[in-house]
Amino acid sequence: MSKKINTKYLISLMVSIFLAFAVGAVILLCTGHSPLTAYGAMAEGAFSSLRHVGDVLEYAMVLAICGLACDLGSRVGIFNVGGEGQLLIGAIVAAQIGVSLDGTTAWLVIPLAALGAIVSAGLYAMIPGVLKVKLKVNEVITTIMLNTVAASLCQFMAKGPWKSANKTMVSATENLNVRYWFDGLIPGSNLSTAIFAAAIIAFLVWYIMQKTTQGFEMKLTGQNPRFARFSGMRIDRKIIVCMVISGAMCGMVGMFRVYGSEHLFKPSVSNDYYFEGLMVAMIARYQPLATILLSIFFAVLKVGAEGLQQVGVPNQIYLIIQTVVIFFMAAQSGFLECLSVRLQKRKAAGANAPGGPEAEEKGGAEA
Amino acid sequence: MREPVINFKHISMQFPGVLANDDISLDIMPGEVFALIGENGAGKSTLMNILYGIQTPTSGEVWIKGRRVEEFDPRNVIEQGVGMVHQHFMLVPSFTVAQNIVMSKEPRKHRIFFDNAAAEAAVRKLEEDYGLTVPESVPVEDISVGMQQRVEILKALYRGAEILILDEPTAVLTPQETEELFGVIRGIVREKHMTVIIITHKLDEVMAISDRVGVMRKGKLVGIHETRDVNQQMLASLMVGRPVLFDELERTGEPGEPALTVEQLRVLDHRGLVAVRDLSLELRAGEILGIAAIEGNGQSELIEAITGLMPVQSGRITILGKDVTGQDPGEIREAGLAHVPEDRLATGLSGAATVAENLLVGKQREARFNRWGFHQNQAAVRAYAEEVYGRYDIRGAGVEALAGDMSGGNMQKVVIAREFSFDSPVLIISQPTRGVDVGAIEFIHSRIMEKRNQGAAILLSSADLDEVFRLSDRIITLYEGRITGCFRASEITKEEIGLYMTGSRQQGGKEA
Ligand SMILES: Nc1ncnc2c1ncn2[C@@H]1O[C@H](COP(=O)(O)OP(=O)(O)O)[C@@H](O)[C@H]1O
Ligand SMILES: [Mg+2]
Repeated sequence: MSKKINTKYLISLMVSIFLAFAVGAVILLCTGHSPLTAYGAMAEGAFSSLRHVGDVLEYAMVLAICGLACDLGSRVGIFNVGGEGQLLIGAIVAAQIGVSLDGTTAWLVIPLAALGAIVSAGLYAMIPGVLKVKLKVNEVITTIMLNTVAASLCQFMAKGPWKSANKTMVSATENLNVRYWFDGLIPGSNLSTAIFAAAIIAFLVWYIMQKTTQGFEMKLTGQNPRFARFSGMRIDRKIIVCMVISGAMCGMVGMFRVYGSEHLFKPSVSNDYYFEGLMVAMIARYQPLATILLSIFFAVLKVGAEGLQQVGVPNQIYLIIQTVVIFFMAAQSGFLECLSVRLQKRKAAGANAPGGPEAEEKGGAEA
Repeated sequence: MREPVINFKHISMQFPGVLANDDISLDIMPGEVFALIGENGAGKSTLMNILYGIQTPTSGEVWIKGRRVEEFDPRNVIEQGVGMVHQHFMLVPSFTVAQNIVMSKEPRKHRIFFDNAAAEAAVRKLEEDYGLTVPESVPVEDISVGMQQRVEILKALYRGAEILILDEPTAVLTPQETEELFGVIRGIVREKHMTVIIITHKLDEVMAISDRVGVMRKGKLVGIHETRDVNQQMLASLMVGRPVLFDELERTGEPGEPALTVEQLRVLDHRGLVAVRDLSLELRAGEILGIAAIEGNGQSELIEAITGLMPVQSGRITILGKDVTGQDPGEIREAGLAHVPEDRLATGLSGAATVAENLLVGKQREARFNRWGFHQNQAAVRAYAEEVYGRYDIRGAGVEALAGDMSGGNMQKVVIAREFSFDSPVLIISQPTRGVDVGAIEFIHSRIMEKRNQGAAILLSSADLDEVFRLSDRIITLYEGRITGCFRASEITKEEIGLYMTGSRQQGGKEA
């Protein structure tokens, strides 16, 4: 079953990406840029140096874990739009744990920071989960509102109680002691050993969703909650647990950003990264493997877009391409239907040929 | 001789893995009622979808009123005067009846604005013409299923249909509504000279309404007969390809210990009104207790409360002596209950999951499918599903196909196969054969009886009185949430029981 859907999906994805680049090219032309130069600069921006490749991988990691967090929620039928806030909470808690335990061994600080990020972000994500299950409050609204709450809360902490002594930083925590930093893998790039932890998380999430009994139950809960309940599953608990894990994953991303790249908390540890991950998840139809692969693709675009600046093209073209892909993916179901009907007709016409009407008519004319 | 209005010429339709129509040639004559029968999955809907232009046949031609259909597209076919009412209705729930009827050809004011008054007037005119009344200005979501079907029929008539296709129109209707529908069909055929093609599983309906009947089996049209030349026995045998006997089912053993008891149960429906009023009953091992009631008299709520899907207002429910009042469906299942729900698509399965997955549900935590407590053994799942698939004679594109793509009767077999596989001492069965063909009905009935003879306690609810009579040891009648009578199935007739179902007669202080 999955095979058929996959080819269909792949075709539509390829077509959508191609069309998105085409639309991008038209826009570039209209604004007086050469698409070839621009796309060339993009490729160069992503691959020209090892440093850029490192940045691509780091960003792909962020997108993939955020996207998978979204996949996990959607599997039980809950749409976690609040990952951005969960990420920020995880980041600031992890950062402050490192700051306050300064001097202790890294063997203690790193696990504690990870635990802090997981617990704080997980609990934060639990709020909309519980509200949805107990009071039937729409999670999209609560998670969006909680994003704002989290951002303000982090601002407040980073400007107030946890503010760095460094006067040049308006809102940021103290710098982490270097001994707690994740080792950089490529000098000058953001890529750190965090990517190994991320790879393990990604594998686990994929495994849970695709290969386990628990993943099977989650899937049924998302597909038909009434049926899941009818057959004896505790769907409320499943929804809350998935929401907590989803939040914890976002919290981990926050910690990775702090310990791997930024080395302190500031509001820009995430620039709507979760939302970009969420879009990737949408394009991937919430399938874990596709989410991971597409994360790499969009990371290439995003980092490559920095290269655009150098040839004088605004890097927003990246956003345009991303949204246009989504647009075409959404339109594709109708589009593909059209295509398959055409194909069917062609086949029907072909099958008609030997004994069908055309042959008869021809036969008649010849006789 | 008159010209046929429709000719199918050598129609074949190949789906991946299934030849749904196999070289079908058929002429439909003007002014006739043609019944099309066949087992679930025989290809009836497919043939009608081709006629209506929804699907393009792999080979063959369709001619309508002497013209060949060039392009299979409903718009084309509708123009030729063909209308279709699908198995699943296609109405917009929030639109009014009139808006639904005129949709796609709406009257407009100044060519832009929808003209509601004109729409309702047009619908009223249709109603007069065809003698079919509907509440024009009520939203479709607020009217009964039977009424929605009338709306579908009027929609087709509004678009100028002269040939009307009805795909299993009676599957969702009560006997009274079916009678009304048949009145409408007779009217439009006699007075408007329309042609009707009707698909149904109920052979008595074929006998009652049709002039001719075509029988399909496994994609082939195996026979066309004048209805007056055949009887139900013959049709059933033709459909299934072997004699279908509907013999008396063999009952063995005597009822044993009480397995399910319900005491003074009170349940509220979705609107908060009392649906089950202080009802008590006792169900013993090795017996089938049938519920005879007109839809909406508390039978659905009773069953949902027993199975934990609906909250209990007051009262007590025990299974094998264990109090399960107010527990969730999982705990109640553990206490020893399995449930075939009345609505298979909404409650009984997940259409987006595969057949194998649907058969597995409930057993997914068993060690053979669940290594180390988490790893799903997908090979074992598949092997298990294949085995059940064969044993229950499920027909479709295999266990890896999506359950939602199967025909209704086969979905029902999946639900029954799964629920019976738990070997639970208590079985609650609702509408076991709604929309299921005769061959499958015989199969399902004998499975239910087998469960009874093995000692299961079975509570059966069905809108089909024949079914209740055929299977039950005892029958209770429900009226407005109360038991109005309790009988041994052999002691009462269908006519008499109707009086208890409508509340016009009542046994004093009834408990079952
Ligand atoms: N769109 C489809 N794709 C694949 N198989 C289909 C499709 N529609 C119907 N089938 C298959 O074709 C067969 C005939 O189906 P159908 O015409 O719906 O049967 P009926 O209406 O007689 O119950 C079934 O085996 C069904 O699974
Ligand atoms: Mg059908």
